[in-house]
Amino acid sequence: MPHLQQFCVWISSTPFSLAIRKSVWAFPIIESIHVLGIVVLVGSVALLDLRLLGFIMKNEPVSRVSRAVLRWTWSGFAVMFTTGLLLSIAEAAENYANIAFRAKLVLLILVGLNPLIFHLTIFRSVNSWDVAPVAPWRARTAAWSSLFLWSGIIVAGRMIAYIH
Amino acid sequence: MLSLFHWLASTHLSIALANSQWAFAVIEVFHLLSLAISGGAILYFDIRLLGWGFASQSERGVARSLFPLAIIGITAMMISGVLMVASGPVRYYYNPAFRLKMYLFGAALVFHFAVQWAISRRNEDRKTAIPDRIAAVISLLLWLSIGVAGRAIGFV
Repeated sequence: MPHLQQFCVWISSTPFSLAIRKSVWAFPIIESIHVLGIVVLVGSVALLDLRLLGFIMKNEPVSRVSRAVLRWTWSGFAVMFTTGLLLSIAEAAENYANIAFRAKLVLLILVGLNPLIFHLTIFRSVNSWDVAPVAPWRARTAAWSSLFLWSGIIVAGRMIAYIH
Repeated sequence: MLSLFHWLASTHLSIALANSQWAFAVIEVFHLLSLAISGGAILYFDIRLLGWGFASQSERGVARSLFPLAIIGITAMMISGVLMVASGPVRYYYNPAFRLKMYLFGAALVFHFAVQWAISRRNEDRKTAIPDRIAAVISLLLWLSIGVAGRAIGFV
């Protein structure tokens, strides 16, 4: 058995993991909060992406939209990450081999790299295109990848429960 | 109303959905994707009314700019929602959580969009007022309860 699998099986055997699985309400409640966190996070991210693409708030400077959503993006992320971790702990052994779970982790890494690249490159020159109704192509590429990656994460996340 | 659900169950669409292994999963994912879009658009309008974001932009401006996105998102949710119900109409008809969700959805739809429409038609920009904040809280509570009732459909 690979080390990582051993680790996942061990996590599943801890009293904490067992407690979440045994409880009738713990899993659905954590799951609901997880979805709420996703709505706040992805809703915020999508708002900025759609602004970059020139679909909404064209008259609003990009930097202002970015500032308005930042706090909520991080709050949503904190909620999503914490609850996601709890759900993963509860089903660690099952999730190890779940292809949808693995795909979701890969997509999460990619979606984390996306804003990193965006902020280190094209967003540095935001002052020169802040008020443009449609952002430059490099920013639009970041926006499209963000929308696609987050959609993929939601799809993969939901599929975890369907694939055994 | 029950006959409407029985009629829906007898359609080709409903039978095809009920017999398909993946149709429900695909529609449910689509429902969740629309939730992120409509949820975001609705949330930010309410956030603006509460004075927690977009403070530099007028309430009227935010109401107008987020209106199309909210409508597109809600429409996508309704289409995918109807398809989910079509996969087993009679089962949904007798599900108390589903009924509750529909009542709440009707209330939220009327309340939220009446507020957003009224604010988008204001002639002048005003400072954030108490009634606007109360409206935002009611809207958020309504949408939140819809989410809870929706999740409960699978459990009752």
